[in-house]
Amino acid sequence: MNTMRKTTLAVTALGVTAALALAGCAGGSSSGGNTDAAATGDIRVWLNGTDTPQAARDYLKTTFESEHPGSTLTIEEQAWTGLVDKLTTNLSGSDSPDVVEVGNTQAAAFTSAGAFLDLTDQYDALGGSDLLPGFVEAGSYDGKFFAAPYYSGARLVFYKKDLLAKAGLTVPTTLDQYISNGVALAAANPGVSGIYFPGQDWYNALPYIWENGGEIATQSGATWTSSFSSPESIAGLKQVQEVMTKASVAPKDGNETDPQVPFCEGVIANLSAPSWVKGSILAPADAKAPGCPDQEANLGVYALPGKSGGAAHVFAGGSNIAVSAKSAHPELAKDALAIMLSDDYQTILGKAGLVPAKVSLASTIGTDDVAKATAEAAANAKLTPASPKWADVEASGALQDFFVAIGQGGDVTALAQALDQKIDGILNS
Amino acid sequence: MSSSVMLVREHESGGVQELPLRPGPKKKRGPSRAKAGRFTPGVLLLPALVILAVVIGWPLVQLFVMSFQEFGRAQVFGAPAPFVGFDNYTKVLSDPQFWAVLLRSVLFCLANVITAMVLGTLVALLMNRVNRFFKVLVSVGLLLAWAMPALTATIVWGWMFDTQYGVVNYLLEAVTGQDFTNHSWLIDPFSFFVVATIIVTWGAVPFVAFTIFAGLTQVPEEVLEAAQLDGAGGWKRFRLIVFPYLRSIFVVVIILQVIWDLRVFTQIFALQGIGGIKEETSTLGVYIYQTSLGKGDYGTGGAIAVIMVILMVSISLVYVRRSLKQEES
Repeated sequence: MNTMRKTTLAVTALGVTAALALAGCAGGSSSGGNTDAAATGDIRVWLNGTDTPQAARDYLKTTFESEHPGSTLTIEEQAWTGLVDKLTTNLSGSDSPDVVEVGNTQAAAFTSAGAFLDLTDQYDALGGSDLLPGFVEAGSYDGKFFAAPYYSGARLVFYKKDLLAKAGLTVPTTLDQYISNGVALAAANPGVSGIYFPGQDWYNALPYIWENGGEIATQSGATWTSSFSSPESIAGLKQVQEVMTKASVAPKDGNETDPQVPFCEGVIANLSAPSWVKGSILAPADAKAPGCPDQEANLGVYALPGKSGGAAHVFAGGSNIAVSAKSAHPELAKDALAIMLSDDYQTILGKAGLVPAKVSLASTIGTDDVAKATAEAAANAKLTPASPKWADVEASGALQDFFVAIGQGGDVTALAQALDQKIDGILNS
Repeated sequence: MSSSVMLVREHESGGVQELPLRPGPKKKRGPSRAKAGRFTPGVLLLPALVILAVVIGWPLVQLFVMSFQEFGRAQVFGAPAPFVGFDNYTKVLSDPQFWAVLLRSVLFCLANVITAMVLGTLVALLMNRVNRFFKVLVSVGLLLAWAMPALTATIVWGWMFDTQYGVVNYLLEAVTGQDFTNHSWLIDPFSFFVVATIIVTWGAVPFVAFTIFAGLTQVPEEVLEAAQLDGAGGWKRFRLIVFPYLRSIFVVVIILQVIWDLRVFTQIFALQGIGGIKEETSTLGVYIYQTSLGKGDYGTGGAIAVIMVILMVSISLVYVRRSLKQEES
């Protein structure tokens, strides 16, 4: 648990800095609130995918409705795919949802556009310096706090213990060993992905770039420079290509949804996926989305190893949560948001394998293998470029296209140069 | 000016006919039958025109204005949008990507119109020949395909062509003995459009078949019989008798198909979510969506949309002129 404590300390330190920075802007505007506390209304909360466990949804609805007699709260589940488009159209309309979850890398597109209500005066009440600092930063714009952290998640590697043992391999300690393990497993088991890597899964490609010293994009002044074609990035991308072509038999143009299906079918040896995928894999065989609970003893997990040992820089996925600027009941919406950041609610998330939005609740994810691997991975997790335009890069689909082409064995350098040109165009437009 | 003339339409004689909207000041004997008949069409048209103006006209005006503005996500949420003249248009027209998309859309449209017309006509001819039971059976089948929402259809077709678990790969492997394990149908742009054509055609054939089948019932039996006695084969009878009778129906159906296929969106958009490379498979409709909502560049997206509207209107004009001519004859 040493690593965990270190993480907590580092994270707290960052949190304090962020809090100090934010406190400067928070003054003077803390008068709002309670004026229309008596008003009732129907609150619509948008949650994405199945990430939020059912227990948390039930808790939110019951708590909110008992605290606000006469008001109702409806949770509407949205798909992660195409979320930026959907939020843009819905948040700008007259029928806007009240509380929305947004991917941490997408938040800037909306905070900068004025789509969210300013929550600066709620910052301390919601948790203050206890909130995950990287996510506070993602949800802030121009010195104001718009979107609170919701949860964080790290990508872990799930593996089949028996396949690894049969091939005489051990859990890898470096990225190179991880790749060679994957290639060896694929060669020894025809039809099985040593490392499962569908072409559109660009989040999983980022560690290879970061571990080789590359960056997605760098900023100097007001100008962003996409750097997929830097020598360091190219080295990482070549590794991605090696994994995709030699270790993976996943569809070259497939996406990363529902990896538990091939995993349970037995055609995946190593699967790099968000921590909550464990729940999908071990879901009862008769569930709506069935898993394979009989594989529990055979299911191992570790944090993706870095180039020179330790945990790799993985993508720090997760969500922010915000109140729509066009919400018809902003006070009720703020109350609902406060429930979602309450210790009780966040503890439910923690128990489901999601990293809670508050540093002080880090221990709620438990002490099992997944929790340990999550803590290790989260310690070294990195974010996508902090540009309000980054969400546009994601939504353009250029990254998916790029990695599909890499998976087909395309010329890495030429493809990377073309991608850089495209991303430069979007980030600096 | 209470009896002001609001609508004017071209009269058959070439002159202009005035269509008063409201009855003029009441005459002593009340409106005569003939007078009532003169303004009824205008009154009947009015509600439809108002709805069209609100639902289609106003968005079109907004789209047109937007295409001359710098309009990003911030403007969606209320920031003022500065006018930039023809900047968006020059950006679009000088972008090779746009021309590639346009060419792709036109080719895809042609392929789909031809396939749907040929198959639809064949199905119509078949329905004309079979007995009542099979006629009903085929009609029900066509109706089911027609009633299926495009998105649902695309998702199901996508499952069938799935790389890992698709029934198409399974069957092809079972029948041909070749290895189709993990064969991706969408990764190659040509193969992607073959799948898209199957889906679009599947949805378009019912309309073509029903319309042409309805037309076929209007071809006089005696003429066909006479031709048959004179020794004309099936193809000759179709080419020289059936087709001339149905020429105007064919023209109208083809134009409608061209319009629908040129602005195809759902099938392509949903397929791109399943697999394939977006940049190499986008058609006009999807490209506008990606530019506007994906990249958050509504101004440029608007410009592309306006160009597409102009394209559609010019095709539709042919259709409208054709239907007007038909009405007159």
